[in-house]
Amino acid sequence: MTNTLLSRARVLNVLASAPADEVIVFAEELLEKLGEVRVLFNRSGLIVLSATDSAQGAQFHLGEVLVSEAHVALETGHEGYGMCLGHDLVQALALAVIDAALAAEQGAAAIAAFAQLQQAAQLAADERLLRQVEATRVEIETF
Amino acid sequence: MYVAARGGEEAIQRSEALYHALKGPITPQLIQGIMESLPYLVDRVMGEASLYAPELAALAIAQSGGDLYEAVLLLRAYRSTQPRLGYAHPLTTERLFTVRRISASFKDIPGGQILGPSLDYSHRILNLNLLGDQQPAVSEEAPLPERPASPHYPLVADWQRQQGMLAPTPTHEASAPQDIPDVTRDNVLFPAPRAHRLQALARADTGGVLALGYASMRGYGLIHPTVNELRLAYAEVRMTHPLTGEDFSVGRVRVSQAEVVSNGGQHAPLLTLGYAATLGWNEVKLIAAATLDMEMSQPNPHPAHTEEFVMYHTEAIESSGFCIHFKLPHYVTFASSLDNLRKVISTFYSADSQPATAPAPQETAP
Repeated sequence: MTNTLLSRARVLNVLASAPADEVIVFAEELLEKLGEVRVLFNRSGLIVLSATDSAQGAQFHLGEVLVSEAHVALETGHEGYGMCLGHDLVQALALAVIDAALAAEQGAAAIAAFAQLQQAAQLAADERLLRQVEATRVEIETF
Repeated sequence: MYVAARGGEEAIQRSEALYHALKGPITPQLIQGIMESLPYLVDRVMGEASLYAPELAALAIAQSGGDLYEAVLLLRAYRSTQPRLGYAHPLTTERLFTVRRISASFKDIPGGQILGPSLDYSHRILNLNLLGDQQPAVSEEAPLPERPASPHYPLVADWQRQQGMLAPTPTHEASAPQDIPDVTRDNVLFPAPRAHRLQALARADTGGVLALGYASMRGYGLIHPTVNELRLAYAEVRMTHPLTGEDFSVGRVRVSQAEVVSNGGQHAPLLTLGYAATLGWNEVKLIAAATLDMEMSQPNPHPAHTEEFVMYHTEAIESSGFCIHFKLPHYVTFASSLDNLRKVISTFYSADSQPATAPAPQETAP
């Protein structure tokens, strides 16, 4: 695990897409090391997704995405933030706790190992999907 | 004129209870099953609701018994309860995690033709064996290629621009996402900003868009569309970490986009494009919507293909809501119409009426 992967955003990048139940269990284990955790907010809401039209180059709103987010603070003053897709306040809270632990440099090795494990699973799933996609490449002949 | 009506409270409650009783229970397993087994239905509801939330879309489908307009309404209503937390970084086509990218206009496109998940060339035959207990035979999966496909593909349109077939993309000053015109918050005026048109198409009713697009394709329109590029992909929802300022992905959502191409007319460039995109994977809607985009840009489109007509008549909730409101009590308005009708009959056709004032009877054809 490189230090680059331990960037808080990159860890969040991986864990936001990891199975929620695994992230929650992992965060609960971390809580024992963090002391009291204050929840500044924990809510669901909408993120607007926009795109650019390839015909005329105009930007437009494609729609909104339901997300959950959480912002927590530790006794040490370190803060953590988490956001995930869908309505799952507990998952968002778990992500924020992990982020706060990274900020406080608590459990960094365990977080790195967990994130690496999840990233490996995600990369493997992507590779399998892309190999399945490659199998559908078609060379079309006209006659 | 609308008037209040009251009464039948118990009957209404029993009616709703009967509705639910006749369609079976809603369980977490049912919702999970809808989400996993009916992704295209879930995508259609999310696209028309303009809200990406697969679990809630599956719940809406279950709760409405599969009535899609009710399901879209449920999801739109839920959306209205949620605060807008922010704006994701705008998507770029080249960064989409693409699993299907085809062109019907050119076969040798940069990056190649990738069929991806599709039933395009399959036999449409019901597998009646699946009705019984007989499980489908598990066929041995053919070995996969060693090399995975690239998740990223260039735009076919960019290659065409390099060949001089399309006009260069007009340059626009990049807007911050919060400054992009938004049909959910702005008054819609015509001619509409292109951002309004494309957002309206993205959330439009699939059936409505198809009906108007099909009318164009059958000959009421001015163009003959060919699919220039059709793409199904996953898009990263990228945000900025509020505490560190770094970018991160919240996760992937399914998106699709289509371009249709048509003859540009007598003058260069050779070709012109129509475009549409939506949340979820919905190919038929996008091909029809991209066709309508091009129709709406014609100098004198058919009246049913003007921007105002298309945008007003393909809004799923407004159109379905207006249609079904006619089944609700209209007793006073109908009684008023009946009174007027009786007055006309009394004035022109009663024994006391003056024959000279009565309208001349219409001649019937021999």
